[in-house]
Amino acid sequence: MASKAILLNANDDVATALVDLQKDEQINASLGDRSVDVVLLQDIQFGHKFALHDIAKGEDVLKYGLPIGQALEDICAGESVHVHNCRSERFGHRHQKYGVNA
Amino acid sequence: MKILGFQRPDGQLGIRNKVSIIFTTDCSRFVAQKLKLLFPQGTQIFGYPGGCAFQDGPVNKLTALGNHSSSAAALVIGLGCEGTDAYKIADAIAQTGRPAEALKINEAGGDIMTVEKGSHILVEMIQNASMSERVEMSPADLVVGSECGGSDSTSGLASNPLTGAAGDHLIDAGGTYMHEEVSELMGCADVLAERAVNDEVAADIRGAIEEAEARCFEGGRFSWGYGNIQGGLTSIEEKSYGCLAKSGTKPLQGLLRSYGALKGRPNGYYISMSEPNSGTFSGDPEGINQFAAHGCHLAMFTTGCGSTTGGLIPVLKVIANPTRMQLIRDNADFDATPIIRGERPLDEMGAELYQEILNTAAGKLTKSEIHGHYEV
Repeated sequence: MASKAILLNANDDVATALVDLQKDEQINASLGDRSVDVVLLQDIQFGHKFALHDIAKGEDVLKYGLPIGQALEDICAGESVHVHNCRSERFGHRHQKYGVNA
Repeated sequence: MKILGFQRPDGQLGIRNKVSIIFTTDCSRFVAQKLKLLFPQGTQIFGYPGGCAFQDGPVNKLTALGNHSSSAAALVIGLGCEGTDAYKIADAIAQTGRPAEALKINEAGGDIMTVEKGSHILVEMIQNASMSERVEMSPADLVVGSECGGSDSTSGLASNPLTGAAGDHLIDAGGTYMHEEVSELMGCADVLAERAVNDEVAADIRGAIEEAEARCFEGGRFSWGYGNIQGGLTSIEEKSYGCLAKSGTKPLQGLLRSYGALKGRPNGYYISMSEPNSGTFSGDPEGINQFAAHGCHLAMFTTGCGSTTGGLIPVLKVIANPTRMQLIRDNADFDATPIIRGERPLDEMGAELYQEILNTAAGKLTKSEIHGHYEV
């Protein structure tokens, strides 16, 4: 069966929607030996991300096995992960080293 | 398919066979184009579109392109008063054993005499090039680049990782693979430094990314726009990892900061950069022709928005956006949409894309070649 979401690295905290997904849908994301089932807490657009498990505020969020930013608040499994709840130090924050908004 | 390369006197093996007509300044472009029109078969034209440049960058780049494995011989056309000296470039090309001649319009006698003298030279060069010795090539002889342009969310999800997987296959077979765009490697310093073959290379990639990052902070912006957010990207790091996905998984052998830097280096994975002041083209074609200057035989090019670009080397278009794939099928070389539709795994398709690299090397024309796309 065609999968509706893609997991790019086995260590990732998020998967990416390959079609528009609806709230309450149960979605499977798998790669190699890892297979995660999660029920979506909200609609997720094509190309956008959702959490595969609970992520605590301040934790790195991994995609491609690498941190794309830190959680700005506690994020639940099945919740959308985007600029409203995940930021990198290079985006949306005053950068201490350079002192400019980037 | 067997890959029958064209043997060059300096030992290089080309997958295409062209006589280069090179203009050294915008002032000699017109006469060079007249020659190209007179001899469309078996020739290619490129040059430096600026004015009276003195910089080494353009001279180095034109020399590197004239010495490309697909270039059998070169006729360099200058006006005569520019810093990008036509004789100097022809001499540098001739040092590799390739036939190379130069004409300066203001010495040869204007349009008419330059075209006449140039025609005599080209007739001989083109016929001799057609008799270039053919030698069987192995994948280990190939140098391949990967670039993304007109990117959308499918680039980072499917088409970029796919080129990385194909690059891994090429390296496993003994070949060389590279990508560029250091300004889109934000947050990738640690992972690339870890993949570096030694401390020197690790420090070099860290330094290059840091320089690019400082430029972004100072300029007030990263390679980042609102469309990225709408497309689902959360940060410049996430966008960068999508670009990094082109890199595959092999050890980083080094940064190529000057043309010809690959000579004598081991095969494997590299990141290429442009030489200062050497920008001779613009946009995506600049990237493709930069690969050519670094010795790439061909380039993979991933696009979600549907770029149709070509360049001096064959360009293999990889598209993972289903809508775009349907719309511009006649410009696309590799259909990566089964990954986005969740029908086929990445690793399986990566092996197929690698096969397509070998087919292109063996002479299969890419769509950009068929359309005559030649952006220089």
